[in-house]
Amino acid sequence: MGRKKASRLLGLVGGLGALLLGAVVLGGATQAAAQAKPAAVPSGFAGAETCRSCHEDQFTKFEKTKMGRLFLRNARNTKESLGCESCHGSGKAHVDAGGSKGVGGMISFAKDDPTPVEKRNETCTSCHTKGERLFWKGSAHESRDVACTSCHKVMEDVSPRSALAKPTVIETCGSCHLQKRAQQMRSSHMPLREGKMTCTSCHSPHGTVTPALLKENSANDTCFACHADKRGPFLWEHAPVVESCATCHDPHGSNKERMLKVAQPRLCQQCHIESRHPTSPYGPREAASLKFVLGRSCVSCHSNIHGSNSPSGHAFTR
Amino acid sequence: MRATTPIRLILAAVLVLGSAGAAGAQLTLGGMNVEGEIESGVRFNADDPERKRTQKFEEYRDMGEGLQLDSLRLRLFRPDESYSFELGGSKWGRDDQEFSLSVGRLGLWEFRFDWDQTPHTLSTTARSLAVETSPGVFVLPTARPALVAHNSAPEIDDITVRWDTAKLNLKITPTPDLEIGISYTRIDKDGARPTGVAFGTPGSGFYEIAAPIDERIHDLRLRGVFAREMWQLQASYTLSVFDNGLRRLLVDNPCFGNPAGCFDAAAIPTGQRSVAPSNIAHTVSLAGGVNLPMRTRVNANVSYSLRLQDDSFLPHSNRFTPAGTPALALPAEDLDGRVQVLLGNLSLVTRPLRPWTLTAKYRIYDLIDESAKLIFVNSVENDRVVQTEPRQSGQWGFTKQNFDLDNRFQILRSLAVTVGAGWERWDRGDHREVAESDEVSGKLALDVTPADWLVTKLKYTPSFRRINKYNTRAHVEHSVIEDPATLLQGQSTLLRKFDEAERDRHKIELLLQIMPTDAFTFTPTFAWRYDDFDMGYAPKGVEQLGLLDETSWSAGADLSWAPIERLSFSTGYAYENITQTMRSRSRPVTGASTFDFFNYDWISEQADRVHTVSASLKAALIPKVLDLELGANYSSAYGEVDTSNPLTPTSGTAAQRLTATAKPWPAFQDTLIRLDAALKYTFLKQWTASLRYAFESFEKRDWRTDILNPFMPGANGTVWLGSDTKDYTAHIVGASLSYRFGK
Repeated sequence: MGRKKASRLLGLVGGLGALLLGAVVLGGATQAAAQAKPAAVPSGFAGAETCRSCHEDQFTKFEKTKMGRLFLRNARNTKESLGCESCHGSGKAHVDAGGSKGVGGMISFAKDDPTPVEKRNETCTSCHTKGERLFWKGSAHESRDVACTSCHKVMEDVSPRSALAKPTVIETCGSCHLQKRAQQMRSSHMPLREGKMTCTSCHSPHGTVTPALLKENSANDTCFACHADKRGPFLWEHAPVVESCATCHDPHGSNKERMLKVAQPRLCQQCHIESRHPTSPYGPREAASLKFVLGRSCVSCHSNIHGSNSPSGHAFTR
Repeated sequence: MRATTPIRLILAAVLVLGSAGAAGAQLTLGGMNVEGEIESGVRFNADDPERKRTQKFEEYRDMGEGLQLDSLRLRLFRPDESYSFELGGSKWGRDDQEFSLSVGRLGLWEFRFDWDQTPHTLSTTARSLAVETSPGVFVLPTARPALVAHNSAPEIDDITVRWDTAKLNLKITPTPDLEIGISYTRIDKDGARPTGVAFGTPGSGFYEIAAPIDERIHDLRLRGVFAREMWQLQASYTLSVFDNGLRRLLVDNPCFGNPAGCFDAAAIPTGQRSVAPSNIAHTVSLAGGVNLPMRTRVNANVSYSLRLQDDSFLPHSNRFTPAGTPALALPAEDLDGRVQVLLGNLSLVTRPLRPWTLTAKYRIYDLIDESAKLIFVNSVENDRVVQTEPRQSGQWGFTKQNFDLDNRFQILRSLAVTVGAGWERWDRGDHREVAESDEVSGKLALDVTPADWLVTKLKYTPSFRRINKYNTRAHVEHSVIEDPATLLQGQSTLLRKFDEAERDRHKIELLLQIMPTDAFTFTPTFAWRYDDFDMGYAPKGVEQLGLLDETSWSAGADLSWAPIERLSFSTGYAYENITQTMRSRSRPVTGASTFDFFNYDWISEQADRVHTVSASLKAALIPKVLDLELGANYSSAYGEVDTSNPLTPTSGTAAQRLTATAKPWPAFQDTLIRLDAALKYTFLKQWTASLRYAFESFEKRDWRTDILNPFMPGANGTVWLGSDTKDYTAHIVGASLSYRFGK
């Protein structure tokens, strides 16, 4: 199917869907009768409705979140049915003590909460143990006492997905990783600032099997997920490419072409001091050097630099 | 410009919905509640950059004018929130449109479909005389025009590759402790990218063309997780298929017939180049974790990957055939490429005493290349001549192991100290310059929280990489068979490649977070890294070649402040400085002899300095009625490459001395400025009108492309596309109307 055709079709489907929606709504717009069933409160707990009586604002925001909808209306087990108290702990002592701030030994998750970060995080990880969180213990963030609530806010919908503390992943990660966030503004960058990628396209902040918290098994495997053309195996492999794409590229952004770490031909000349053309210092304009430095520089000829499958491709020119 | 019928339909639907829903009422549809928001409007560029200047402006986006759907989010849900259906999207009708559909039973299952289009514009200034007669075949007139005629070649439409990504994802959670996931992603890449095809020296150069791209990636993932409070087990399988619809590039040589601008009477008519072969990778993984007594956690993971590639080989040349040159007969039809990757991880975290945490981690990554080892008796490097040196394909397997041991002591409630050590070992085999290397590292980290408003994180990491030996000729010895001339012209023995060689590294990272109130956060950061590669290998009187040292440091600060509920402000600044020193040597060749004149050494000092500033302000001028948003971003990069000869070249011939004489490069510079302003007026409870303005300016100086024409006098035999990223300035104005469904 042609691309324009596909685009039009997709748009058409969306448009018709919206029209249909409109027509049905016209025919039957009514007030909804959404009524949540009050859950029975186990002994020793105050119950979510009791919490609501004092914390109306927080409750109203929370019940709209995915976690709120699950805990307050569709709990799958006893723990979830505890609602607010499944994370904050039993509120009975807090209520019995008059409900003042800080009384009753609850975990508030606030900045001034005396509960150690490790214990606060255990509240989250007692349920969130699947997926990448399997490797949370001992991960780069866990081992430096980063709290789940440093990045997540479950009490209200700040971000469209993943209950983040800031509207976007980049803002969330960028609040500590300032320099990496700045790199997305470089002239040579992946489409992060355009909203087509984000930090979690490559990284999993909850811990992974790689030191840099990459989602795949290695740096190269992460790149190959979208750049599988570089995976090979090739007949003629370029050894540093096999080991790490990051030998030459800075994936967070660069002021060099194609996110290279160093301008060509200097990048190549750092490792290639064979005789013949790589060894010359090459000025900007002398005639003999033009074809080696202008435009795409070395890769104008060595265009299969990531590997070649041509029988005559040992110099990556074929 | 690209306001399509579907967008008009959507807008009509919005109006219908808008008229249907009384303000504040909960809409329902077939017993389902409806909530969400739709925003649509027009955009026009008050000062539109001319097409040639839009490469960076539209690098990953479609900035066309006209009607557009800015965003849509519609959620239909049962009143009890058990089932929901969600439709989202943005920029419909444009080249960079995206949308998603999801349906699910809360906590039990979710199905999601995402569609995304991302254009990647690579050039808007290219010119070429070549005509692509079929995919990958580029033809020039038989009587080749003078090279200078390429400068007046017709302009090519934008060289752009568009990625269309479709994702299907199904996640089932039949019970809270069991999760099953299936996902399929298909990426279609369609378009073109600039690439060069070389025709061989001396005399000829290369011809740059806009090579077609017709690639697909299929990625299928299956995952099952079973998680109990004390232990978890996870198994997964990934199939990744890369399918290239293009087989080769066949490109006419602009120097065939030796037209003006060429000095190559023997120029070949046409050259060929291979493209990335189709390939497949399978990966199976098993991971698990268990909580043990004494607050101990053990995690383990084993993963096995198999990468296969058996695309049939192209012939060596479209000019020389095995019939005429029997030594060009291929030893096999294809590579029978087969790489196995084994990954293992084992980590242990234990807290035998409350203030003491011990973390031990071991990781092994073993890449075994079992592809066929083929010997090519002759080869045709550039279709010009048959090369008689036999070549053997290489296999670049390696094993990388890491072991880390950290001890963290919570000395006080406000102070934790981590002392650690690490080891990284590479076993590459004797086909690489360094067969074995060991790197030991230390770690000292301080986490200080003297008050609930101050967090300090400081880390110092020194590391020292040492190798068993450095064999300069390892690669050539393994790939070139019985050709002394090539061996003689090989790599300098004074070179140490930075990715393998001995290295001393020191790293410091500092992060402060100052939060005196909930509404004010100030975060300064600092990082410094120094790599020293100059280990004094070189004999007395000469110097080591290659990258000698690199220093990079960055400093920045972020401030966010919301003095009142109606006003929030944030600003940030980051500075990065990277300097490198590399040393090389111009090594002229005469016949089979390479000359090593120590006074032909040259040193290149590279320095990059980058400033990035951002600021934003959000203000509710009239609460819930009139909002103002302002934003500013500035990024400026300045790169220097200062190359000089430590000694004046005096040896060799005058021509050799000229080639060996170093010159500094003009600086690289680029600056991006973006300013945004938006005024949002909520005139009815669910209707908001927005007016937006953006200013964007980009400037770039790169002497390698600034004045690049397809033919550059002096660069005989070489023809580029003449691509250059141009400066631009744009003023973008937009107006939109949004409607919010539901309460």
